[in-house]
Amino acid sequence: MNVLLFGPELFYLGMALVLFFFSLQRRVQVERTYWAALGLAAAGFVVALYCLFQNGEIFFRAYKVDLFSQIFKAALALGLFLVMMISRNLAHIEPRYHAEFFFFLTTCTLGMMMLVSSVELLTIYVALELSSYSLYILVPLRKGDGLDVEAGIKYLFIGAVSSGFMLFGLGYIFGATHSTYLSEIIPRMPELLASPIGLVGLLLTLAGLFFKLSVFPFHFWAPDVYQGGANQVVTFIATASKAAAVAVILRLAMLGAKYGYSFTQALVVLSIVSMTLGNLVAIIQKDFKRMLAYSSIAHAGYVLIGVITFQELGYASAVYYALAYLVMNFTVFMVLSEVATDGQDLKIEELAGLYSRSPLLTMSLILGIFALAGVPPSIGFTGKLLLFTSAMNEGYFWLVLIGAVNGTVSLYYYLKVVYAAYFLEPRQGPLQLSWPTKALNWTLCSAILVFGVFPDGLVELARTAVRMVL
Amino acid sequence: MLLFNQLETYLYVALVLFFIGLYGVLARRNLIAILISVELILNAASLNFMAFNRFLAPHPAVGQVIALFIMAVAAAEAAIALSIIIAVYRKLKSVNVEQATELRG
Repeated sequence: MNVLLFGPELFYLGMALVLFFFSLQRRVQVERTYWAALGLAAAGFVVALYCLFQNGEIFFRAYKVDLFSQIFKAALALGLFLVMMISRNLAHIEPRYHAEFFFFLTTCTLGMMMLVSSVELLTIYVALELSSYSLYILVPLRKGDGLDVEAGIKYLFIGAVSSGFMLFGLGYIFGATHSTYLSEIIPRMPELLASPIGLVGLLLTLAGLFFKLSVFPFHFWAPDVYQGGANQVVTFIATASKAAAVAVILRLAMLGAKYGYSFTQALVVLSIVSMTLGNLVAIIQKDFKRMLAYSSIAHAGYVLIGVITFQELGYASAVYYALAYLVMNFTVFMVLSEVATDGQDLKIEELAGLYSRSPLLTMSLILGIFALAGVPPSIGFTGKLLLFTSAMNEGYFWLVLIGAVNGTVSLYYYLKVVYAAYFLEPRQGPLQLSWPTKALNWTLCSAILVFGVFPDGLVELARTAVRMVL
Repeated sequence: MLLFNQLETYLYVALVLFFIGLYGVLARRNLIAILISVELILNAASLNFMAFNRFLAPHPAVGQVIALFIMAVAAAEAAIALSIIIAVYRKLKSVNVEQATELRG
């Protein structure tokens, strides 16, 4: 077996081990732990990029390494690195838990990397739980007023119930097709058209992943966890974990491609309800992170539009949108955690006068927010355009119409943020940024614009990747 | 045909177990009780796997291996859940979900 096939996972396993030893140390060395974690995360991203064009199957065909999985692994590695970049000032996590904080971020990344490569039901389940359990521990790690444990317990129970649903569904799929390998299950699914067992099993299975992506009706955790968790943890949940969820949903939804009307209709309803509910409830939010949570529910609805098409273009645009969402959502969260210097929850009005406090952060904030809202020429606009075009080609006129109306509604609450940043009087002094943060700001801003104006390279890559799945 | 030698019997038992668990999660107010209900859901899934394995699967070990994995994963989950429940108890002096309603909106 070629070691490079399992390269990124092995690297993150080693990285988790190193960080585990850091957590055992008696003397707390915050600086050293941080630089070690950051350096390893950067190296991990390089390793993931190096393994980008690996191809093969390992572990008795339970684990498939192809361009599709490798792109997402690179994205996850990037997500971890970016979160590490903004974790320099972990004000809300006790110094002696910093090493554990980095450790669980790493195991979560490892779990998600295994998740995007798994093509066997049990492997998918175990990888999913590895990433989820790390997050269950990360959320209540925040010190403070009890909000964190409340968010943690809600996250855990909603997650446990949805993974119970998923297991129950996997059981039905296994029973109906007598196999746990996706490659053997997919050809047998059409035989089950007459009986409901396959459809019920598939929908229950997707429930576990809809929880990760915070699609209605498994979205209840999102607002509470976003508000209760430490800013950096929430950043990770909102970026990397969503990308991994999209990858597995794309793989598993293929099981239902032949089902036609009934399965698609179920997904259409979930997509519409998710985006409408997310956008409408986001309007009344005062807490910035809570608003972003509802916006993430809405975005989960948009991504589902691409899944529903079951076509190459739709799948590729879902991949593109997942990557774009990672970048633009991270940009907003980076601004949030830079402004909340002592790690507190940020009200939208606390962004007041950010324009005079730090012009650079304001530029990033505006670009990130406009990208989320889908304003051209940002990466978010291109993503939405691709999604809507692919759905239009398949004749989902109403879905696209509702999606477009939702995009307009979302502008209202996104612009509230811009309004606060530009037109309210500042209450605090200017913000000082370190040079790595400045560099990160410029990089993210240019990424949002460059990939928005010239998406061809990325879209072509995504199209090649999804051909492996279809 | 004996009742215990039919696939349907086990599927119905699993389904009943699943809904008991779901009802418990939704209706119970005590965090420990909710945890037990979640375990019921997982056991229902295990029972499903074992039943399908016994009556249908071509390879007799697959379902059993999956059931073993579910047990191990459920044990890890219970450990994490209990530790968070203890943290909840330390902060709120209660393991009742009605005490944990600060986050709203």
